[in-house]
Amino acid sequence: MTNSVTPGAISMLLANPSPDSSSEIPEIVVQVVDLKPIGSSTTRFTFMASDGKMKIKAMLPTHFASEIHSGNLQNLGLIRILDYTCNSIPNQPDKALIVTKCEVVCPALETEIKSEVKEETGIVLKPKQEMVAKSAAQIVREQRGNAAPAARMAMTRRVHPLVSLNPYQGNWTIKVRVTNKGNLRTYKNAKGEGHVFNVELTDEDGTQIQATMFNEAANKFYPTFELGKVYYISKGSLKVANKQFRTVANDYEMTLNENSIVEEADGEGAFIPETKFNFVKIDQLGTYVNGRELVDIIGVVQNVSSTLSIRRKSNNDTIPKRDITIADDSNKTVVVSLWNELATDIGQQLLDTVDSAPVVAIKSLKVGDFQGVSLSSVSKSKVLINPDLPEAKKLRAWFDSEGKGTSMASVGSGFSALSKNGAKSMYSDRVLLSHITNDQTLGQDKPVFFSIKGYISFIKSDQTMSYRACKTCNKKVTEAIGSGYWCEACQKNDDECSLRYIMVVKVSDHSGEAWLSVFNEQAEKIIGCTADELNRIKSEEGDDKYQLKLKEATWVPHLFRVSVAQTEYMNEKRQRITVRAHAPLDCSAESRYLLEEIAKMSLS
Amino acid sequence: MDTSSPAVFANAELIKMYTGRRVRAVVQVIRNEGGVLVGKSTDGQQLTVKGSPAFPLSHFVEVIGIADGNQSIRAEISTDLGENFDAVAYDGLCQLANGKHRKLFL
Repeated sequence: MTNSVTPGAISMLLANPSPDSSSEIPEIVVQVVDLKPIGSSTTRFTFMASDGKMKIKAMLPTHFASEIHSGNLQNLGLIRILDYTCNSIPNQPDKALIVTKCEVVCPALETEIKSEVKEETGIVLKPKQEMVAKSAAQIVREQRGNAAPAARMAMTRRVHPLVSLNPYQGNWTIKVRVTNKGNLRTYKNAKGEGHVFNVELTDEDGTQIQATMFNEAANKFYPTFELGKVYYISKGSLKVANKQFRTVANDYEMTLNENSIVEEADGEGAFIPETKFNFVKIDQLGTYVNGRELVDIIGVVQNVSSTLSIRRKSNNDTIPKRDITIADDSNKTVVVSLWNELATDIGQQLLDTVDSAPVVAIKSLKVGDFQGVSLSSVSKSKVLINPDLPEAKKLRAWFDSEGKGTSMASVGSGFSALSKNGAKSMYSDRVLLSHITNDQTLGQDKPVFFSIKGYISFIKSDQTMSYRACKTCNKKVTEAIGSGYWCEACQKNDDECSLRYIMVVKVSDHSGEAWLSVFNEQAEKIIGCTADELNRIKSEEGDDKYQLKLKEATWVPHLFRVSVAQTEYMNEKRQRITVRAHAPLDCSAESRYLLEEIAKMSLS
Repeated sequence: MDTSSPAVFANAELIKMYTGRRVRAVVQVIRNEGGVLVGKSTDGQQLTVKGSPAFPLSHFVEVIGIADGNQSIRAEISTDLGENFDAVAYDGLCQLANGKHRKLFL
């Protein structure tokens, strides 16, 4: 006979609270958990009767106490219930099981029996479980347990939400789950060497914060923190997050030192959050080049290189690196550089299976501009081989039917050499104006380049359109004492100077509008005459003609190559969009581009 | 503006669907025979245009008229578009205007 509980036993007992005779009672075996005496009595014992799914508060008959004293029945043992009643307990929602007659089936099992909610028959023994249906009594007990903490620990256990933490309040405790754990890294800087590692913490409300530990603290807590587990943390310090290293959306970041307290919260199941992907198609990577945003991609592996050792310039460390080529159903390929463990472990796995063209999904890749477009792994990148995702299945199907045969171009090859005649390259990194204006962090470190198509919507007629420029070097000249103009760069005086355009124009497309800074060459094409000529019209032909000239330039479509950078102007960060190249709208090419985009829209 | 009988964007393939209805198509002139113009439509097939004046060879001509049987149009208005014309883009337009996005056009 199986040493196990009767499934649904508790429900059976509750369904028939007062059976008449023992003949009515079906075979009921329950597990005795939380066995303890009532008060200081030696004859009265209380326990939780468990059938693997439900638990009910229960009492043993007094005559059975001898079985416990003799060791015949211990905690986690099994008993068969021969006679019982279920009584309602005053002030409690649940009933209590009063066992009047029972016999021992098994003195003690290894662990508490818990069954999965899904299973109908059979109970699976699991040391740690996910959600288990709890009786109301148990839930009440747990909640009470959280609210009456003082007995347990010395520190205040009142849990603060992550969103309430700030650097000026020191006495807090948080209860968080580790949703990402970085590697223990060594670094060398001006002050010497050290180790560092960080974890990403999430609390119940979903707020996230990054916690960093250095040297001794790193060594102390690195083994403690485990991905997916819940901890109580206190005595950490907070400071404003350094945007350059920030990975998590929080204004603050936490540092833990050796005095910080980290305690595992037991009773919380370890929950490793499923990696959420937000895939970008390979041919869409152009817009992310040199941006701050990390991308996720999924594709079929076509090629795996051998491991190379790259020497790091800063400390002469050698790091392993491997390049893999990935293709997806946008019919483009891209090279992904994997570093450190990703190169050695995952890389080796991919190399072994490359002939089977495995599907690989990678999270958090940096987009660079090597050979046009390149992807590079960072410490928090995650690689999944042949993942069980719908996108993976779609890719597999595409590859087996078409992808295998198609020869695909590298996505980077479209971006090489920004030609002076902007026409061809006006289609690489084509974005809408809203893409630029919606992301104010674009171009923080290095300027980012895009192509846009827009209509000039407004030229301010009362702005300074031009500056006086030196005829030789085009730099600004100042009016010299006497007559003529002095050029600082050429160190000479000139009687004549030329006017060069420097202006801002408002450009619109169907998604939005933006102010663009335009320099001489492009402004000439927009307005249709040189700055000198425009100035002449303004002074000689009158304001009306001048306004007309500006008006003629409005609502003309143009293709621009722009650079976006972040500048500080009077302590405020401003987005500055500058025109680098200009091309007239080529209707035929534009129509084809639109047709392609429409086709892509209908596919997705 | 008379919108009672809008002309459907068509190529040789689509003309079959609109016999008796007003269509507009762009053809590249292959030859002129009396009052009949023979041209190549944007999807590569041959179209005959009746009642149209002559146009220079290899020019693109837009013809608006009634679709009349197989591969021919009874022209009402013909316009010379010159030599520079992107037939592929126009054909794409025909596909879209008669496919998913018909409601935008008819």
